Parts: sequence; C-alpha cells; structure tokens
Amino acid sequence: MSGVMLQSCGSCGRVWQFRRGGCPQCGSTAVREVTASGGGTVWSVTQVMRAPLPELDLPGGYAIALVTLDEGPRVMCRAETGLVIGQRVTVGLGADGLPLARTS
Amino acid sequence: MAFLTGVAATAFGKYSGSDAPSLMETAARAAIADAGLPLEAVDGLVCGYATTFPHLMTATVMVERLGLTPRHAHQAAVGGATGVVGLLLARHLIAAGACRHVLVLGGENRLTGQSRDDAVKTLAGVGHPVHEVPLGASVPAYYALVAARHLHETGASERDLAELAVLMRRHAAAHPGAQLTKPISVDDVMASKPVATPLKLLDCCPISDGAAAVVVSAEPGQGASIRLAGWGEAHTHQHVSEMPDDLGLGARIAANQAFAGAGRSAADMRLLGLYDSFTPTLAIFLEALGFAPPGRAGAMAREGLFGRDGRFPLNLHGGLLSYGHPGVAGFLAHVVEVIRQMRGEAGDRQVAGPPPLAYCHADGGVFSSHAGFVLERTA
Ligand SMILES: [Zn+2]
Repeated sequence: MSGVMLQSCGSCGRVWQFRRGGCPQCGSTAVREVTASGGGTVWSVTQVMRAPLPELDLPGGYAIALVTLDEGPRVMCRAETGLVIGQRVTVGLGADGLPLARTS
Repeated sequence: MAFLTGVAATAFGKYSGSDAPSLMETAARAAIADAGLPLEAVDGLVCGYATTFPHLMTATVMVERLGLTPRHAHQAAVGGATGVVGLLLARHLIAAGACRHVLVLGGENRLTGQSRDDAVKTLAGVGHPVHEVPLGASVPAYYALVAARHLHETGASERDLAELAVLMRRHAAAHPGAQLTKPISVDDVMASKPVATPLKLLDCCPISDGAAAVVVSAEPGQGASIRLAGWGEAHTHQHVSEMPDDLGLGARIAANQAFAGAGRSAADMRLLGLYDSFTPTLAIFLEALGFAPPGRAGAMAREGLFGRDGRFPLNLHGGLLSYGHPGVAGFLAHVVEVIRQMRGEAGDRQVAGPPPLAYCHADGGVFSSHAGFVLERTA
C-alpha cells in the first residue's frame, strides 16, 4: 500500500483525497478512510524552476505532478524528473512524508 | 437595470511611498468624477482586499477616507474574480433597490509594499495547506499544471501561448499607463527564464502597484449609456487538484449564462476584456468561450483576430500581462479600457466603431471562481 490516505463513500463508492465529513457526490456521511493502492496515471506535470520558498529553490528545480489514482481521485505529488502526461506511475510517500510519483 | 457610469485607473507600475488606501483613493475620486456625481451620491461600496493592507474592514476604511455615507459597504474576496463579482453584486444591490450608485474599488502597492518572496508566498496560499502548498507549489505552478494539460489536450505549442504575450505587449505599447511597453517577440518569450514548465517569465503577468474603480448606477450617466446586459458566475472548485477534467467548464457556464441573459452570443461581441494572469489563462478562455477553436487561440492571435483591427479586439490596454497586475485592480483595469473604447474615448488606441457590445470575464483562484458579463451601449 502507498501510505497515501483517501476517503471513500459507503453509499455511492466515490473516492477522494481532501478530508470531508460527507461525500462531495451524493452527500452521504458514511465516509471511511482508505489507503491508496498507489497505481495511477500522470494527468499533468510541471518542473518548478522558481520556488515559492527560498529553502526550496534548488538548482534545476523539482517536479510536481497531478496523478489520477486508479481509485479515481487526482492527487498532487512531488515527481521524478522527466515524467510525461499519460504515463503510468506508482505513488508512495517519499522520505519527507510527501506523496511522490515514480515510474516503478 | 444597471449602467456603468464612471471609470478610472491609475497608471500601473512602481509607486514607492504609496499605500493601498492612497492608491484606492486616487482611483475612487477619479471614477466618481468621471460619473459626474457628487461624493454624497455614492450610496454603495464594494471594496477589494489588498495583500499589502490586510485590514479586516477595508471597505469602511475607504468609506471614512472618501467621506461617503453608503447604505451598503463591504469587502469582497474572490481572488482575481473579485472585480467582476463586485460589479455583479453592485448590479444586484441596484436591482434590489438597496443602492443607486455603487463604487467598486480595488488597488494596492503589491510591488513596492512587500518583498517578491512575500508576494509569491502569500499567493501560494490559495493552494491546499496540507496537500498542495507543502509540495512547493506556487500560483505559477498551479497554472503551469493546467497549461501543460491544455497543450497536451489541444496539440497547441508553447510558441502558440507566447503569441498571446506578444499581443498584450503590443497593445500596452499604445497606452501611457502600462507598466511593460518594450516590444517582445515569440522568441523573446521562449528565451525568457523558465518559471514552471511550460511557463516562462514572459508567460506570467508582473506584480504591480496601482488602483482602478468603476461606478455602477441605476440609470445612465452623462454621455454614452452602457448597460450591464447579462451576467453569470460559476464556482466549480478551489484547488487545482479538484479542478474539473474539462478545463473550460466554469468559464463556459458563467459566459453562457451571461450571453443568454443578454440575448446575445459570443459571435455578437465586438470587444473583449479577458483575465490574463498567464498566457494559458487567455488561451483557455478564448477557446472555451468560442472566440477561437480548441488549441487555436495563439494561431488566431498571430493572424490578427484579437488585434485592434481584428474581429475580437482583446485587452487593448495590454492586460495583466503588460498593463500590470496589482491584485483586485488588475481586472478592473480591463473594464476601464472596455468602457473607454465603448464610449469612443480611447484616443490612439480607439477601435473603429466604437464597439456596441463587449464581453468581460475573470477567474479567481486556479480557474476556480468564474464571473463574466456582457456590456451593451444603448445610446
Ligand atoms: Zn457518495
């Protein structure tokens, strides 16, 4: 399992990431915590060259991807450099505890 | 029925020594004078927020400063859409009979009033505090993710997006109040510093000081009569992680409502004032609203469709990308230019006509809040 936490609706089956008390699709409050399997597809990706915080301003920048997980939700991740849209990736937690998208 | 009767914008750029209230005061007094109204006639105020002046009650600060005695005043905050939502709220206040002349106001010293790092950090806060901001995402990064997806879906190129920056710079060169007026080419945009791929520095609007104001009234003022003929809003999400797969969805919902309310279509428009925080913002709006086929906004710009002599003249003051972007006043400056063009008061920049119908649109957040309206010159 990926360590990336999601929520799932017990009524309609919708799965999402941002914590809520009820389902954004059907309104049911039968919400439970689930862990993402980690499989997903790159929806978009950018290489950030100018960081919003000085401590993140690394030479060459860093990649951020939006990945559509196999369970349905789109989640933002740090990413391996060089990923392209449509590519299959595995999402897990990196050493910093943040979601990281990789090719293997 | 609501009419746009007074407009004013300061020049945008660097105003060391000014603060947000003083910039707003300058624009407010000029817009009220432009409407031909005494101060006491202004009975409503919708005031934007200012990141350099994070007062809890900016609207009443300005009421006090201007010496107004309004029946309604409050501060609005919908990011880049604040100016449009303010104008629509003014229309609703007038339709409800609560006010007769509502001042919509924005302005701040966003360039000189804080460090660049502070400005970038403040804006990055529109991201999700747990799931986005800690990753090192920024507003340009959020828009870069949408831009990359847009290019992937449409087959347009980075050079196509660059055409829109070139066009805004060309328009700004004709306006004495614009912040950036040095001509640029597509190659200049492509060679500018990478910010977040595919966006380069010249795909992004600058940070500016400045202010702008618009008076909305229950009846036409002196001179040309310009009516708010149709309006629409859509709020589809806040964070880019939860953006609809259809990138133009919110824009299309808001615009279709505005066109339907005015009994007009996109093809009827003769002038556009569209939010252009980044080149892909413009491309997605132009394509979602039907002013260009998917992926073709840049190509159509190159072919002259959005120039002063084109079919859909766009942001003739230079837009956020070149006139400048001091927050809430950024979009209000689009409205100021549209009104001046519709009145035939744009001097060397004036389109032939002047145009009887215009569409204005902005988004706040990351394509999160959309608002737009159709303006019609009725006399
Ligand atoms: Zn549900």
